Amino acid sequence: MIVCVAVVGHQNNPLYLQSFTEADDALKLHHIVHCSLDVIDERVNNPKRSAPTLNETFLGLLYPTENYKVYGYLTNTKVKFIMVTTDLDVKDADARNFFRKFHAAYVDAVSNPFHVPGKKIASRSFGVRVSTIVKSFGSGTTG
Amino acid sequence: MEDYPEELRMTPVSLVSIVGCPELHPSISAALSSQQPPMNTLALPDFSKASILARSGKARDPLAPPQAPAGILKKDWLLKHRTRVPAAVAALFRADQVSGDPAQWLQACSDLENLKSAIQGKNTKLVVVLVQAQASDELSEDVTVALRKRAEIDSRHMIVLVEQDETEWSRSLSKLKNVFAELCSAFYKEEGRRIKARIEKRNFSSVELSIRYCFKVAVYAEFRRDWPEALKFYEEGVRVLREMIGTSTRLPPTQRLVEIKAVAEQFHFKISTLLLHAGKVVEAILWFRKHIRSYERVVGTPEVAFLHWEWFSRQFLVFGELIETTAATVPDTLSPRFGTADNALTEWEFQPAYYYQLAATYLREKRYAIECSSSVANLTTEASGIPESVMPSVYVGQYVRLFEQGDTVSVLPLSDTEYTSYALSEAERFQDSYEIIALFRKAYESFQSLGATRMASACSRGMAIEYYAAGDFSNAKQLFDGVAGLYRQEGWTTLLWENLGYLRECSRKLNFPKDFISYSLEMAALPLFSGSGEENRENKIKSGPGGSPTISRRENIQQEVINVLKRKQAPDGTNDEFDNAMEETTHLDIDQISPLRMVLTASVAFHDQSVKPGSPLLISVSLLSHLPSPVVVDQLEVQFNQSDCNFVVHSAQEDSPPLDSNLHDQVVQATSLTLFTNKWMRLTREIKSGQSGKLECLSVKATINKHLVICCHAESPASMEDFPLWKFEDHVETLPTKDNVLAFSGQKLIQVEEPDAQVDLVLNSAGSALVGEIFIVPATILSKGHAVHSGELKINLVDAKGGGLLMSPREAEESESHDVELLGVSTVDGKELKEEVDSIRKIQYSFGVVSVPTLSEGDSWSCKLEIKWHRAKSVMLYVSLGYSLGSTEEEALLRLNVHRSLQIEGQIPLLVTHQLLRPFRREPLLLSEIRSLGGDDKKCSLAMNESNMFIVNARNCTEVPLRLHSMTIEPDDDGKQLCSVQQVSGISNGHAVIAPSEEYKGIFSVNPRASSSNFHLGDICLNWSRDSSLGEDQETHVIMKQRLPEEIKYSLVDSQNFVFSGAHNHAAFILPKSEHIVSHKLVPLGSGSQQLPRITITSVRYSAALTPSTSAATVFVYPSEPKFNLETSCSTSDECVS
Repeated sequence: MIVCVAVVGHQNNPLYLQSFTEADDALKLHHIVHCSLDVIDERVNNPKRSAPTLNETFLGLLYPTENYKVYGYLTNTKVKFIMVTTDLDVKDADARNFFRKFHAAYVDAVSNPFHVPGKKIASRSFGVRVSTIVKSFGSGTTG
Repeated sequence: MEDYPEELRMTPVSLVSIVGCPELHPSISAALSSQQPPMNTLALPDFSKASILARSGKARDPLAPPQAPAGILKKDWLLKHRTRVPAAVAALFRADQVSGDPAQWLQACSDLENLKSAIQGKNTKLVVVLVQAQASDELSEDVTVALRKRAEIDSRHMIVLVEQDETEWSRSLSKLKNVFAELCSAFYKEEGRRIKARIEKRNFSSVELSIRYCFKVAVYAEFRRDWPEALKFYEEGVRVLREMIGTSTRLPPTQRLVEIKAVAEQFHFKISTLLLHAGKVVEAILWFRKHIRSYERVVGTPEVAFLHWEWFSRQFLVFGELIETTAATVPDTLSPRFGTADNALTEWEFQPAYYYQLAATYLREKRYAIECSSSVANLTTEASGIPESVMPSVYVGQYVRLFEQGDTVSVLPLSDTEYTSYALSEAERFQDSYEIIALFRKAYESFQSLGATRMASACSRGMAIEYYAAGDFSNAKQLFDGVAGLYRQEGWTTLLWENLGYLRECSRKLNFPKDFISYSLEMAALPLFSGSGEENRENKIKSGPGGSPTISRRENIQQEVINVLKRKQAPDGTNDEFDNAMEETTHLDIDQISPLRMVLTASVAFHDQSVKPGSPLLISVSLLSHLPSPVVVDQLEVQFNQSDCNFVVHSAQEDSPPLDSNLHDQVVQATSLTLFTNKWMRLTREIKSGQSGKLECLSVKATINKHLVICCHAESPASMEDFPLWKFEDHVETLPTKDNVLAFSGQKLIQVEEPDAQVDLVLNSAGSALVGEIFIVPATILSKGHAVHSGELKINLVDAKGGGLLMSPREAEESESHDVELLGVSTVDGKELKEEVDSIRKIQYSFGVVSVPTLSEGDSWSCKLEIKWHRAKSVMLYVSLGYSLGSTEEEALLRLNVHRSLQIEGQIPLLVTHQLLRPFRREPLLLSEIRSLGGDDKKCSLAMNESNMFIVNARNCTEVPLRLHSMTIEPDDDGKQLCSVQQVSGISNGHAVIAPSEEYKGIFSVNPRASSSNFHLGDICLNWSRDSSLGEDQETHVIMKQRLPEEIKYSLVDSQNFVFSGAHNHAAFILPKSEHIVSHKLVPLGSGSQQLPRITITSVRYSAALTPSTSAATVFVYPSEPKFNLETSCSTSDECVS
């Protein structure tokens, strides 16, 4: 189950952060998402990474913490997507698929002429769409 | 890790025992422990101690039904095998003990029997060692055989040690070592095989035994250093153990879980150590993940959750320590694509800090769990109390109660309730906070060094929360403050909110009202993070003492600040504990980088860019606050760098009369000064500009609720930065001023111009300057309304064509001479200024500074600038007067300047030309006297002792009449002896006036007195002055000296006596001091004195023709002999006039 998704802007500022948990651990999720930025920094700036991976948007599992797993995605405009899940076994393909859909939703949201780039995403329809994507995650119909 | 018993932490080492001959024990032990792999030695000094090798446990009745084991692992089993159960025993006998005295032999035999009986029933191997003094002390074959038979050992296991001989000793010792190594290996293999057979045959009655056997086999494998087998059986044990959780019923559930976890911990530790020491980091991490995943949900009942979290935290801590001690690094073979299908691991999992951080997190869970359990326990088990004399049992992870009844001590099992209350009371004795802080600090330092600032901040926050929980508010505040910076910078408002909530409480606890107010205001002004409008969801965030981030909570916090300021009891129990520490007014300073900029920002813009002093100007002051509730400002004080301009705006609602401490301030009443959230409050005021210079608005002080003064640094709208945090919010941004232009370009500072100078500086130009004269430019300073104090006149001469330099480049190299030179400055009355203010006066070639005496209003002062031209050149003269209005220090700072400039042309006054008239030659010259080719470079030819006329023309090139005082030729030293120059017509009446473009001619007679081929006539000197009716310039005389250039034309006239070849007419250009030879070939047609063809030479420039006299052109032609053609050459030297 996905418990949190976030969009993080260029200055590592949160543009969108939504948790999908009934428990009162939303603050903890904020912390987890914030800390995962360190891993993204490390991965993106690591010179050891070979050239073909530079074009790869899916960053993979960022780190497991407590009973969460944090996955990352970096768009070509250097906007970061972060997803936190409690699933023990997440298939790479599922995570990639989720991010692909999420990216599409994000692109639609920021293409709104009333959206100012670099500001928080306040679109209601984006929220609804994200909820749908989150609910369909790992259900097998995502293929 | 340090808490684990040593035998668990260290790799098992084979144990052998040696009995007898205690004097040899140290050297044998040392030799064995230095072995690779080492062996530990259990040294028994004599055979009476051999009984300790005997099985300590009571003999089990082989017929009794197998009892169910009371636990999984016995605590001392491993220790026993490391220290008390040797793999082999060596009985040491001296050679003299076994040979010779029969009594001794019997003793030896009985000792051997005892030893044999002690190890009976075990696989322990026996070795007999005979110690000889020397190798030559040969023992009889009978003795050794008898001894071997007695000991029932193989001949290989009978070893002779030679004591005295060094080489023999080491040789025999190494033999002993080899025998021991072989026996140890055999022993542990046999033991392992024995147990393994039981596992394979499933020859055990319970799961516990299965696990125990696995452990034993693995340990025996470790003794043999058979790591793969050890790993295999440890893993098998763990698997069985995990399965046991749901099935075992031997113990009450809580204690059962505790035991299983304790055993699992040992197994896990062993596996991790084996993997990491073998360099299999990836496998170790994957194993750890599996281990954690198996047990993370096995919490048990809520009352004992703290036990789980403590255990769980310890798993992370120990694994972190293992990773750190083995210095595990990311293997190169691992794909660098962490976290993907290629490589399931992530970077942090290789860092000990990651494990420490999680260990700290789980230890904090334990603290929370204890808090919960304690509160429950206090309510329920108050009566029953904590069971006494509980102690760990012989089994790993089990606890029992000692029960004393009379002399007999029995061990009783515990019930779960008893155990829980015991464990709780034990756990409560420890201060976990310090442990948690230490773990977080370790992780923090490590992450910080890895450059993971956010992880480090999270650790820092963890420390801070622990300090806060432990009541150490100053440490907590310091840490929270450090973390808040990062969250502010990156705009994580929810995290910042929590942080500020803690900081606010810390300030409250530490009694820092100012900090409390500033943190509260910052919180109140924070933008809320509302994910896609679903605020109610986010509102559930539990955010420490700050409460959840909602608008109403923000409003509450703002109200709390006001309550604190009003010293009012807040309804929610926020009392006025700050009373002691509260000052009369609290001052908050907000600059451009302060986080409190969200609370209040002041934008100040002048409507103009510059203004005259004293004239009115408009200023717009705009204030913006992001506080959720309207803020009523009592008083607004606007401060400038010129305090005269400060003004205060009072709210009209303010009843009290304004307390005007500063008399300079202008006090204005405004109707209402209320700031609404995110709306600019704009005020436009007219103020009077102060002194000239920069007028800058420094700050705007807003007084709120009488006791809070917020001092905002004024910001220019043009250079105003975005609001931190709010810049990411999707809301309408408004401009600080209504005027768009001002909002984008307005400045908080204005240039107040200098007051107009009321002093005139007049430069009188007298037309063009003439080269050579001292040209006077009068400068007059005329005060029209200002007194001139400490005035200073700066004079600057600059080439009008640009370039600045007043000397030609060539001359600049050669000499210091300047084309135009400022000679000096004199006052009107002719006195040099020198004596007045010597220090200020400074004259250079093109620059001068002269001080001006103090002039009162209406006075004037003038001076003359003396400038001399050395060359015709156009020059700009810049004169500037700087002065101050008074002599006091304050007035002296303000200097006024008047600038004037004047272009002056420099002209050459007289153009001098000359010509030389020579008399005809009256006597014939011998041909030999006519110089032929060559000779020196001087070609001046004047007739000796003849009077030659020399005419000098001086033409006035200027527009003013010039007065010529004298015109002389000054011969140089040679000239004086060789030639006399007399003026034929002089200047009558002392001077001659030459009107513009007129010419004056002076006539000289030049009479050479000696024949010289090199002769310089002299310099022409003209002494002139301007013919001015004022007569001022009469004293000035100019002397000009000139040298003369040449060029000629010549023509040759036919003569009837000669035929010649060559041109009749020709021209030639002759450089000064050079010679030009014209050659013609003449053929005389008759003999006798013949006239040569006449040559006429004309100097074009001076229109002077020279015809040699007839006598000079006459040659005598001898009659020819047989031949008729006689070659003669006639060279005509050119005239050279000097």
